[in-house]
Amino acid sequence: MTDWNAMSDAEFRKEVRGFLEAEYPEELRHLPHRPKFAEIEHWHRKLHTKGWVAPAWPAEYGGMGLNAAKLLIFYEEQQRWGVNRGRDMGVQMVGPLIIKFGTQKQKNYWLPRILSCEDIWCQGYSEPGAGSDLANLRTRAEIDGDDFVINGQKIWTTMAHDATHIFMLVRTDPDAPKKQQGISFVLASMDQPGVEVRTITTLSGETEFCEVFFDNARTPRENLVGELNKGWTMAKALLSFERIFIGSPSLAQNALGQLESFARGRGAFDDPVFRDRFAQAALDVEDHAALYSRFADQLKRGETLGADVSMLKIWVTECFQRITELMIEAAGPDGGTVGPLQVGNVSVDVLASFYKARPTTIYGGSNEIQRNILSKAVLGLPD
Amino acid sequence: MQSSEQEEDLRLLRESARTLFDRAGGSGRSRKLRDAGGEFDPDMVRELGEAGVFGVAVPEEQGGLGMGLAAGGVIAEEVGRVIAPEPVVATIGLGLGLLRRLCPEHPKLEQLIGGEASLAVAWQERGPGGASADATCRYADGKLTGGKAWVVGAGGTQDFLVVAEADGGPVLVLAEASADGLVTTRRAQADGSSLGELSFSGTPAAELACGAAVQGALSEAVADATALAAAELVGLSQRAFEITLDYIKTREQFNKPIGSFQVIQHRAVDLNVMCEVAQAAVREVLMRMDGETDASIRARLASRAKARAVTAARKVTRDAIQLHGAVGYTDEFDIGLYLNRALVLSAWLGDDAYHRRIWFDAREEEGAAQ
Repeated sequence: MTDWNAMSDAEFRKEVRGFLEAEYPEELRHLPHRPKFAEIEHWHRKLHTKGWVAPAWPAEYGGMGLNAAKLLIFYEEQQRWGVNRGRDMGVQMVGPLIIKFGTQKQKNYWLPRILSCEDIWCQGYSEPGAGSDLANLRTRAEIDGDDFVINGQKIWTTMAHDATHIFMLVRTDPDAPKKQQGISFVLASMDQPGVEVRTITTLSGETEFCEVFFDNARTPRENLVGELNKGWTMAKALLSFERIFIGSPSLAQNALGQLESFARGRGAFDDPVFRDRFAQAALDVEDHAALYSRFADQLKRGETLGADVSMLKIWVTECFQRITELMIEAAGPDGGTVGPLQVGNVSVDVLASFYKARPTTIYGGSNEIQRNILSKAVLGLPD
Repeated sequence: MQSSEQEEDLRLLRESARTLFDRAGGSGRSRKLRDAGGEFDPDMVRELGEAGVFGVAVPEEQGGLGMGLAAGGVIAEEVGRVIAPEPVVATIGLGLGLLRRLCPEHPKLEQLIGGEASLAVAWQERGPGGASADATCRYADGKLTGGKAWVVGAGGTQDFLVVAEADGGPVLVLAEASADGLVTTRRAQADGSSLGELSFSGTPAAELACGAAVQGALSEAVADATALAAAELVGLSQRAFEITLDYIKTREQFNKPIGSFQVIQHRAVDLNVMCEVAQAAVREVLMRMDGETDASIRARLASRAKARAVTAARKVTRDAIQLHGAVGYTDEFDIGLYLNRALVLSAWLGDDAYHRRIWFDAREEEGAAQ
């Protein structure tokens, strides 16, 4: 086993960059949509052989065992090279939860199947009545012999139509005094009569989100992870690292690069007004990166991040949106045109970037929710 | 990432600077000085000198602490927090920046570090239309002719450092404030301070340096002062935000603190985020300037810092007035002092729109050169 953490940051970065540049399929770089597994399977096999599917997992479970500093480098290099995240819900979300709260039997069974993508996971959290107010979820799981019987509906389930399994938050005690109590975390197979998936067509015409309906669907009681009625606390415990990840500069940085080459080709820089707005956006990205480094340094020193890390997400997603809006502006009369626009030897899909930026201020806790969190937890403002 | 040793040094410096300013009376002292006519306090300058404040960025072999611009930024932030009127940034960035680069042996360097002398730097000129213009102020036969503008600290200074044109190119000269043929006009500023407009007619002055080195040192010193002014604005914004946060937690309307209303909370968060981004960006810039020798890259970094700091200070101080409501519009509440100081610091050495332009042009030039 290689002890990656023993390498210097520079050595490790070189190692990761070298592998990605040599092995990552060119046609998958900067993929504008979320792929189905079949589209990226050849890449996943390479990663799996290399043992790099789960950078954050401890080595004993087949991960790379990276510490926070190395993990950030790993993700930075992935993003720099435009490497698709793949179908990583298993690795990012359910795997760590099983590792932290699961039984030995659950670990032995599920973890290798996550790494090999024999099981492909989707996340069943949001519901029609439980978005920002997630604890309001109503999908019920009732004990019936050795099974849970599940009834209800999940929504915004990313790539559910290409998943074999779902991990979900369900209500197991409807009479609990607080709505955060009485929620459990269960795993279920998608391949059964009581589960129906309908895709949702988004503004951009993609179908990456789904609705999932449960009508007396069943899952064995042994697929409960952690304690019954303790799912809420567990799910929240996982979010710490995700919060810096979701505020990373990469999406905005990539968009800025696209904007610059597109605007240059279009001659938009001849306009002093555009120049200033570009400079504003570029400085917004650069200065955000300075703040991001401050939080990353905190992680590298082994400190846990506070609620203030939410400000990264607010800033970078709103900045990302402004950049894609500038792209549309630079496109002039082509600003409503579907598909890639060719400028010299650069091809930029202006609308795809614009659409891609829209949900970033909604998902992962909308920016309004982030502002609520900051005002209470960081600024100490009263109710 | 800075070393933990350096981080610790800066933390200690920040603590002692904050204690020093607080003990002297904080922003209350600044208000008193403004009410007394707007000049800084020479005793405070001496005290700052004794504490080593002015010499933080001067190399040790020249009598300073050798802690770099990063340390200068720490001081500047603390100056900004209490809106102190002493020309600390102008002294560290311009006065000492020029002397240590051009004539490190001159006795003024040591006196300035020690707070025993005051020295205002006159380098900009006003054109016929009122805007900034190319230098026409002449130095010949030991005498200055022409004018200089936007001189910080002109009111209380003993001497002026003047950048002028001579036959052999630019020169740096020293003129006494009381010299013959020197007329100083004060232009009142929003914060109660003033900027000097100097007019020379055969004013005697002593040459300290000449040639291309003067232009080079001036550009470097202006870049340093620009980045430090950004740090001063960061400290100012941070404190203005804290004052506002305290206010919205205590001010009650509709039987509740106004800080319990979501619209106020979200606006407060936006100001907080602005402050944090500005602080991170400006501190990073100062750190990088310390490790950078290429003058054009240092200048571009300084522009980045000032652009961000001005944008943040404008947003924070103006929204702070709004969040205070009617009392924010009174002179009695301190928040207005922060707005006024921000106006002056933003205009000095270029505002955000100016620096974005400079930054963008420099970026284009670098791109073209590659």
